[in-house]
Amino acid sequence: MEENHKPATSSSFKKGDDKEESSEVEKPEKETKSEQPQSQDIDDKEKEERAGIKHTLQKSYDDIQTFLSKLENDAEAPDIPDFVHKYVDLVEKKLSKHEPLFQDDGSFLKVVDQISRLYKHLSDSDKAPLINRIGQIQQQAMCYLEDEFRSLLEEPDLKQEVVADQHGEDQSTLDQSKEESNFSGYSYQVIPKLNKIAKEMIFGGYESECCEAYMVTRRNIIDETLNKLGYEKISIDEAQKMQWEALEKNIPPWIKAFKQCTKVYFSNECRLVETVFSGYPSLSTNLFSNIVRGVFLQLLNFVEAVATIKRSTEKLFKFLDIYDTLRDNLSSLDGVLPKWAEELRNEMTTTRCRIGEMAIFIFCDLENAIKSDTEKTPVPGGAVHPLTRYTMNYLKYACDEYKETIEKVFKDHSKIERANSTNKPRSHEGDSEKNKYDDENQSPFVGQVLRILDLLDSALEAKSKLYKDIALSCIFMMNNGRYMLQKIKSSAEIHQAMKDTWCRKTSSDLRNYHQTYKRETWMKLLGCLNVEGLNVNGKVVKPVLKERFKSFNAMFDDIHRTQSLWVVNDKQLQSELRVSISAIVIPAYRSFLARFSGYLDPGRQTEKYIKFQPEDIETFIDDLFDGNSGSMSRKKP
Amino acid sequence: MTGTDQSSFLGRISIRRNQVNAMEGYHEQEIEDLELFQKQLSDRFAELLSAPDDAPTEAFLSISWIRKLLDVFLCCETECKAILLMERDAAQISKPPLDRLIPELLERVVKAMDICNAVTNGVELVRHCQKLAEIAVSALEQKPFGEGQARRAKKALVSLMSAMHVDDKESSVQKTAERSWSFGRRSGNKDRHHGHYRSLSWQVAKHWSASKQIHAMTMNLAAPRGPEASCLPAPVYILSLIIVFVMWVLIAAIPCQERSGLTTHLPINKHVNWTHSLAGMHDKIGEEWKKKEKKGMAGLLYELQKMEKLGQSLIEFTDSYQFPGEKEKLDEVAAQVAELAEVCRRMDEGLVPLQMLIREAFHRLVRNRTEFLDVLEQGTPVV
Repeated sequence: MEENHKPATSSSFKKGDDKEESSEVEKPEKETKSEQPQSQDIDDKEKEERAGIKHTLQKSYDDIQTFLSKLENDAEAPDIPDFVHKYVDLVEKKLSKHEPLFQDDGSFLKVVDQISRLYKHLSDSDKAPLINRIGQIQQQAMCYLEDEFRSLLEEPDLKQEVVADQHGEDQSTLDQSKEESNFSGYSYQVIPKLNKIAKEMIFGGYESECCEAYMVTRRNIIDETLNKLGYEKISIDEAQKMQWEALEKNIPPWIKAFKQCTKVYFSNECRLVETVFSGYPSLSTNLFSNIVRGVFLQLLNFVEAVATIKRSTEKLFKFLDIYDTLRDNLSSLDGVLPKWAEELRNEMTTTRCRIGEMAIFIFCDLENAIKSDTEKTPVPGGAVHPLTRYTMNYLKYACDEYKETIEKVFKDHSKIERANSTNKPRSHEGDSEKNKYDDENQSPFVGQVLRILDLLDSALEAKSKLYKDIALSCIFMMNNGRYMLQKIKSSAEIHQAMKDTWCRKTSSDLRNYHQTYKRETWMKLLGCLNVEGLNVNGKVVKPVLKERFKSFNAMFDDIHRTQSLWVVNDKQLQSELRVSISAIVIPAYRSFLARFSGYLDPGRQTEKYIKFQPEDIETFIDDLFDGNSGSMSRKKP
Repeated sequence: MTGTDQSSFLGRISIRRNQVNAMEGYHEQEIEDLELFQKQLSDRFAELLSAPDDAPTEAFLSISWIRKLLDVFLCCETECKAILLMERDAAQISKPPLDRLIPELLERVVKAMDICNAVTNGVELVRHCQKLAEIAVSALEQKPFGEGQARRAKKALVSLMSAMHVDDKESSVQKTAERSWSFGRRSGNKDRHHGHYRSLSWQVAKHWSASKQIHAMTMNLAAPRGPEASCLPAPVYILSLIIVFVMWVLIAAIPCQERSGLTTHLPINKHVNWTHSLAGMHDKIGEEWKKKEKKGMAGLLYELQKMEKLGQSLIEFTDSYQFPGEKEKLDEVAAQVAELAEVCRRMDEGLVPLQMLIREAFHRLVRNRTEFLDVLEQGTPVV
């Protein structure tokens, strides 16, 4: 035990008490003179009596003080004077009054202090019955102190405690000095009292009682405080069985509780214990570690419970929130947790690894989901596939909101090989494929995103084969490719990471699909306008010309009908396609018409074979890719 | 068991498995591995069973004994997992009946994780008991031994008893409704009761019950029969049974949330050799539990029981003590105090390492569950 205890000196006691003594002594006289109602008589009598005790107690106190200094300085034990017995009687009487502890400038504590000193120094002497009595009185006094200690501890002003919640709005309104004195939730008068009691108990040899009372009470208070924040303990078993929606609701309160603990409560707890047990660093360290360890492990167990549930992609973001909370608060913990907390720090790292691995595996799950999407029904009209939509929106959200966190997760945990594991570390794809993305200058997360995009691309290519019409599969690829590009370009976060290589490649792929589409649909149509075979020996062969017109009309009609049903959601792509179609079809048709329309007889024949004017063609082209069943008759102007 | 024993065993399995493809008679080798493993289990459990009932150190159910049990558990667990998983793929462990047995095993693992946490809280309560007992010891060791010290010791011992007997259910966050004060200054009576305060809260979660978890863990826990008894279902059963047994012992020994109705019948197949000692321990602890459950007690932990017995007797002594006391009685009490001091010392020495071991067991369960899931997941069809 540390002996930093400074017994109250006689002079300081007297100095503080002189005034009070006189007033206390005079008081009864005054009060009897004044016209007090009868009912107060008993009160007055008691006061008078108490003052009487005090008066003689004061004298005995001084005598004992002198006696004690003799006892403490002299090697030889002096005889025990009579006033010691008298003093003990007086103290016992005072004790039986159960006065509030901190009345009269804490004189009670000073008396207790003397009793403890007497007990200590007389222990060696042969005055056994006296020692027994003093021991009894000391024990009573200590019980009283312990009760007081507990009840002071048990009633913190909890309203004040959620002060530094960074999302809280009331923080700024709080007076800084008030907060300063209030850091622990106790008012500024309470903490010095706790400190005085603790000192007295430790000095009297009741250190363990004091520490246990402190530890149990504070643990329970922290538990209650966390409860008030909405944090609820959940068993791992329960977490398995809970619906994600229900479990998810517990995560924000946990985050709040964890932040509060690491940023506010633990450091306050540390200050509190150091203040209450000031001068006893080993006691305060011990108490602090006992209090914090339990709370901390309990908070980490919540994460363990969450990390044990079945993974799925929608859970990623909550996992990342937890990961962030664990990571961000490590540094604030470093300030609070001293060396003994190595264990807790390791626990926290282990837990963080678990949640980080979960996050990484969710990306692997996403890869697997893309790979195993075996839906055999093509999307009508070659529109954007739901898989593309889901994957791209997922990646965009992940990058926009969590890129920094995910980057860190991948950096810290992607190379995890479980030590002590009997099976090989998992590898999710062939090594050759992995190397492709393991560019030294590229973050593992970007590698992951690229891998997912490539997988998506191959999946889409496979799906495009489901269309019998090559032109439609080109539209499908263009739609999806465009969607991917737009999503990436709209997110500064991914776009920047991609370094344009992927975008350039995809754009060039899209141009190829466009070319193929034109070739498949429109070059065939232009085949009808071929002049070859129309002129035989400088003369236009009319039946052939009629045939050309007829097949052109039929084919265009057919294209219009089918491709109006096709879908291009992206307005820009839609207009690009229409412009590029018009650019090849209309000039060719116009010149064909200019050159050959004259060969048909005006009137019925012209009407029969020339169904479209160039302007009509343009109008009909504008019907394409709208997803509507295009009926020419209706739309024909 | 020494580390080399284990590494050689694991090495043996590893070599076997690497030769799998080339070798004929692979199944015979596996049976041999399993038999060797069961032999080792049998030896280790026999050693645990042979611990003396009452001894200053290493008694049955003492802290050091439980630490040994946990050591054995960690070893068995590693080996069992090696037999089950080493060099295997999902196809091998996901065909019937393993497709049912392994998920059941993993569910037991989850429940065992919670039990580890509950027991961790329980150990904290034991530490609290230790502190209270230490107060009593230091008061009782005072010379001359005055009435004040007697009262001090009694107060600590009464708190100790109430901490020990805190009803599992009542240990919730709610404030103990009534508080009697050492000094009746608030209510005005002079009744010098000993303070009755809230004890440590130690919940795992609301409504969580250790005995229900054990009950759930024993469901469908049946020894494999016929040809299954010599192939993979056997180690799954062994691992399950050991997990359930060890968790059951921890709950019976250490205070824990909601233990009422704890089963005393684990489905141990007594017809195989290796379970003999395990069944022996089970019967012994089960009997003990039945006896004590009625009385209500902190746990079968040797040190706790000792503490309880000595505490009761010392309360009686302090209750009627009058200074200066009879020498004979004082000497007799001095012996008890020395015994209590010894119990405290053993707790002081053993509880922290025990706490760490329980935590290690927890992390091991977490990790192994992940490893099983990994192997199973690798088998998901990849298109």
